[in-house]
Amino acid sequence: MTHLPYLIGAFSVFVLVLVADALGSWLRLRNARQLALRRQERLRARDTAPATAPLATELSR
Amino acid sequence: MNALTRWFHQLGSPPTFDRFAARWSRVFYVAAVPVLLIGLWQGLFVVPAEQKQLDAFRILYIHVPSAWMSLFVFALMALYSAIALIWRIKICEILAMACAPMGAGFTLITLLTGSIWGKGTWGTWWDWDPRMTSELVLLFLYLGVIGLYHAIEDRRSAARAAGLLAIVGVSLLPVIRYSVDWWGGLHQRQSINMFGDNAVRGQLIAPLWWMVVATKLWFAGSLLAKARADNLAREAGKAWVAERFATGPAGEIPR
Repeated sequence: MTHLPYLIGAFSVFVLVLVADALGSWLRLRNARQLALRRQERLRARDTAPATAPLATELSR
Repeated sequence: MNALTRWFHQLGSPPTFDRFAARWSRVFYVAAVPVLLIGLWQGLFVVPAEQKQLDAFRILYIHVPSAWMSLFVFALMALYSAIALIWRIKICEILAMACAPMGAGFTLITLLTGSIWGKGTWGTWWDWDPRMTSELVLLFLYLGVIGLYHAIEDRRSAARAAGLLAIVGVSLLPVIRYSVDWWGGLHQRQSINMFGDNAVRGQLIAPLWWMVVATKLWFAGSLLAKARADNLAREAGKAWVAERFATGPAGEIPR
């Protein structure tokens, strides 16, 4: 096969960009899932927390 | 309202889009792999070497589909941006911005593989030829859209600003397409037509169509995966996300 180094270089670029794109998509999705999950956990924790904060006292000062 | 119109309206809703994208991004990625492998195998090992360019012409099996995709993705991004600007559809904003990274990727492949092919056949890595220069400007436009979208904190304002750049930038596409006819240069004229006559022998064309289909499928998978991630990031505090991400006893995150 002639031009072998050029073929290797060009096809490597193609495969690398496609793999990097797929990996980037997967990482972004995983990151978004984790952020959404953490946010939902924070919201749940805030809803279930006992109302012990001395809000009334603060307002009466 | 007929069923198809209703389906389109429903798809504009973030939870419906999330379910759709989760299923179809995987389907497109999985479908792209065998088509890509067939195209690469045929392009590298099945078709005979070309008479003048010898084996260097095999680079065109990745260069040409990537070049077509670089233009197609930009046009699609501008279309989604126009829809988002006119009808304020949030999913279209997300889809427009999800086009940019893979579009930039295809443009980068086009420029690099073209450069490698040029070294093998023309004897030079680069020339300030109208086609090559306008394709480089396209890469800068993609980077501009990505940069603008990430530079503004409010996601909706960012998508509108970057979308406007995409709409303005679409005027570059006919310049790229016809640059060789208008100004000549080192780059050859179009030798492969989707619907007309081809200057390339029929025997050498088949792998190209496999690669065209493969790049389209890969892009569809990538677009939906990225759009889904952006959609989830924007909707993180909503009730549907809470339902979707309700953790099981082992604390496992659903897909």
